Amino acid sequence: MAVAPPAPTLSPPSRSAGAGAAAPQPSRKPAFRARMRARSAEDRIQSWRPRWFWASLAVPGAIWLLVFFVLPFYVVLSVAAGALDPIFQTPIPVWNPFQWSGASFANLFREASFLWPPFERTIVYTAIASALSLAIAYPVAYFVTRYAGKRKTLYLLLLISPFWVSYMMRMLAWIDLLQVGGYVNKVLEWLHLMNSKNPEGWLSGHASTVVLGLIYGYIPYLIIVLYAGLDRIDGRLLEASRDLGLGRWRTFWRVTVPLSRQTILAGMFITVLPMVGDYFTNQLLSATPRTTMIGNVIEGQLDIANLQGDGAAASMVLLALLLIPMIYYVRSTARASRENV
Amino acid sequence: MPRSNGQAAAASTGGGHVELVELTKQFGDATAVDDISVVIQAGEFFSLLGPSGCGKTTTLRMVAGFEEPTSGSILLDGKDVARLAPNKRNVNTVFQSYALFPFLNVADNVAFGLRYRSLPKADVGKLVGEALELVQLSGYERRRPGQLSGGQQQRVALARALVLKPAVLLLDEPLGALDAKLRRALQVELKALQERVGITFLYVTHDQEEALTMSDRLAVMSNGRIAQLGSPRQVYEEPADAYVADFLGVSNLMEATVVTPGAGGAPCRLKIGEFALTAECGRLDATGDVKLAIRPERVQLKGYEETGPNRVPGMVERVVFLGSASQVFVRLAPGDTLQALVHNDGEPVAFQQGSAVRVLLPADALRVLPGGGASVAEIHEETFGDQPPDLAAATSSTP
Amino acid sequence: MATAAVPSRAAKRRRGPWRHPWGLQAFTWVYLVWSIVPICIAILFSFNNGKSQSSFQGLSMRWYTGTSKAFGSVLHDPTLHAAVVQTLKLGLFVTVITIPLGVGFAMGIDRWRGRTSNGMNFIMIFSFVVPELLLAVALMFVFLQLLKSIHLGTDAEVAALVVWNISWPAIIVRARLITIGKVYEEAAADLGASRFSAIWHVLFPLLMPAIFASAVLTFASVVDDFVLVEQLSGVGGQTMSVLIYSQAHGGNNGPALNALATLMLIFSLVVAGLGYVVYRVMTRGERGNTTAEALTSIAGM
Repeated sequence: MAVAPPAPTLSPPSRSAGAGAAAPQPSRKPAFRARMRARSAEDRIQSWRPRWFWASLAVPGAIWLLVFFVLPFYVVLSVAAGALDPIFQTPIPVWNPFQWSGASFANLFREASFLWPPFERTIVYTAIASALSLAIAYPVAYFVTRYAGKRKTLYLLLLISPFWVSYMMRMLAWIDLLQVGGYVNKVLEWLHLMNSKNPEGWLSGHASTVVLGLIYGYIPYLIIVLYAGLDRIDGRLLEASRDLGLGRWRTFWRVTVPLSRQTILAGMFITVLPMVGDYFTNQLLSATPRTTMIGNVIEGQLDIANLQGDGAAASMVLLALLLIPMIYYVRSTARASRENV
Repeated sequence: MPRSNGQAAAASTGGGHVELVELTKQFGDATAVDDISVVIQAGEFFSLLGPSGCGKTTTLRMVAGFEEPTSGSILLDGKDVARLAPNKRNVNTVFQSYALFPFLNVADNVAFGLRYRSLPKADVGKLVGEALELVQLSGYERRRPGQLSGGQQQRVALARALVLKPAVLLLDEPLGALDAKLRRALQVELKALQERVGITFLYVTHDQEEALTMSDRLAVMSNGRIAQLGSPRQVYEEPADAYVADFLGVSNLMEATVVTPGAGGAPCRLKIGEFALTAECGRLDATGDVKLAIRPERVQLKGYEETGPNRVPGMVERVVFLGSASQVFVRLAPGDTLQALVHNDGEPVAFQQGSAVRVLLPADALRVLPGGGASVAEIHEETFGDQPPDLAAATSSTP
Repeated sequence: MATAAVPSRAAKRRRGPWRHPWGLQAFTWVYLVWSIVPICIAILFSFNNGKSQSSFQGLSMRWYTGTSKAFGSVLHDPTLHAAVVQTLKLGLFVTVITIPLGVGFAMGIDRWRGRTSNGMNFIMIFSFVVPELLLAVALMFVFLQLLKSIHLGTDAEVAALVVWNISWPAIIVRARLITIGKVYEEAAADLGASRFSAIWHVLFPLLMPAIFASAVLTFASVVDDFVLVEQLSGVGGQTMSVLIYSQAHGGNNGPALNALATLMLIFSLVVAGLGYVVYRVMTRGERGNTTAEALTSIAGM
């Protein structure tokens, strides 16, 4: 098509401020449509970004999750609500929901007096450990984000370093220190707080040892979360608050803490949830019935064939109790990641 | 119709003629582009100008192939490409964020599109060298995009698109991220580049100075429709309505009433307050209430005693010194406030704040626009949110 | 409130509004010491020339490479040696499976909006929020009662660890995808790339740093993992974590365990260091790249 005279499509003083006048004649349209249809599918815009293509990329991961994550919980439920083999008393899973029985759950309630102490202890230990963790982690994270200045990277590396050390090794380090002939006792002797003839067995049943282990084990995760959240707070907000007359403490309580509320909540979830299921800390640092947590109970039940049903039931109950905070956390994370788009 | 240098060059290479035919794009219930039709000549530097949300970027993306039109067609040299995948069109884009591939160096970035044409390596190297020379970045082949300044990155993006010798080059607000001085320099460079290469440029911007400086023709868009299409001079000096008038600079809109409509090109008589004016009404069949527009640089300030045709008395409210000129805000007797631009010739402005003046509105400078619709203040706030008037637009001389 | 007199310098140091918080700084350093020193002591004692955990008797590598028959060393004691091998094997298998699954998952979820994809995203986040013991219980029952062809042992451990760690690549790569946006693929298409070519030649190179980072984190996480491995153990040996656990409690264990643990740490650090170097090489020439964004996305912020 040669250079067409532009006049028909331009009319500056035209009244129709809306669409410019159309130049081409209507008779050309059917020819275009025919040509469009004849084009191969691959050339079309729609084929360039089809939705099914992307969905298929996610399918293998999704299947794995469904088979090895979602399905197992159904299995646990089937075992917990299943029957017991009459001879061996081993659990038989019942797949049909309509045939589920509450026998194992009833068992749990009958054993409540046996189960309650560990459960209570779990709550107490977790509460104390997470509260202390927060009390330690928050000031540290606050200091590093606001006052570290040039050495911020160095501090951050030091804070993250325990993350790379396995949980086992961190517990091992304390076991070495807390054993009867270990450094802790030596320091206490040196400070005349302890008699060398009567050394304290830190590793034989002290609740405080278990709580220390929990704090030591999970605090790095909490610090990372708090650091990330506190780093986001705009320093200028705090300056504005000081400018308006609030002192340091009041600025902290009335500005910083409310701004970091989401962060604190997320940090607490990431700390409390694993602590509740923890059994190995207790095992490593204490291993006496005085300090067992609910995790130890469940683990113990799984080892014995005819208690497996009870173990399944206990797991389900624990899961049900944790479900609400878990859902809350997942929803706020998912929402936050979507809002970042 | 006078041909620009670019059009002359394109006529020799052929191709680059774009036609948008009743193009519409809807996103759900919202209509982003509402039935626009435009013809762009081969080798033309054509701009789409408008505020954010007016549909200019959506139009560009449809021409590029990233959005599929709801209806309508896009003819590229006669072929309808509206539903063609973007990699199959002979059209290339310079993105607002440049989109240079950070994991490739400059030479590989520029050569990226060439790999899909199965050329021997030696040819590729030669073409890349030529393209970089065209944008004055020879010698930067081994640098990475992260090591370049904003202006340099933009040139690499240009080279990357131009090396493929497209029929049309699409530019999506490419100068938006640069500071004012660099922007002005690059405007001139881009225009020179386009004339040299002869490719059709379809340029999208919200900055009317850019559009006026570089375009052969431009379309002012609003709410998915084209408000006016024409050469920079036409759009600036003969705006079709109050919206276009106000978008392209200070418009000094005044309310007026037609006394005697002009018949067949004869000037019509109007009344502003109780003062008589003569103006060219053009093809507008004007009766009743209309709006009058006049550019600040055409407003002349005379002494209060000087009476005569097209002169309205008023009082100087404020004088603002801008450097190369002064803005004089005059409140006219009928009530409207006008802004006059007095060029700085070394003498201080004769009229002080509070003095009485008579304002001369030359008949050939007055534009009669359809009455009704939003007032200037409303349009202004909606579009700019109370930005001060732009001196540059008012003083730039358009080709 | 306003004071006419200029406060003395001493007074300024005490009362200045922007004075340095020495108290907080001291607190932080006490925390860091408490956090890091025990580990350093444990590492130190792995080089101890004696069996004690509390008196240092000189440097020696005997716990790593010693051939004494009385006290096992990592290199020569078959149990310890086997544990190292098993750990590395597990780390490798799990990472090789998790990364492709997780990356595909991230890409799919990001581009395919809709109810189902939101649901899958939900499930994925759940998978690392659930207490590990509960997941172990659930999987144990699955392998015992339903999918009996997957025996407890290495196979089961791999399956479990993939689930547990799939959130690393899924979240990190997703965060990177969101930052990248569509513009690079559009640029590639504009220049002539087909859909597949745009993904392969443009999207993947852009994602490489994130993929690498998540591979490193996955490997480190698997090497350290304990609960899933212990509960699902059967065929195939113990890993280092399980071995330490079985021998450690109560105290008075040999420094060979310290040596083992130190080796675990070295593996993690080597992989982390490698990952960091490769990451920097890959992103050289790019501006404004932060790994902090990846970490914060895990933190759920």
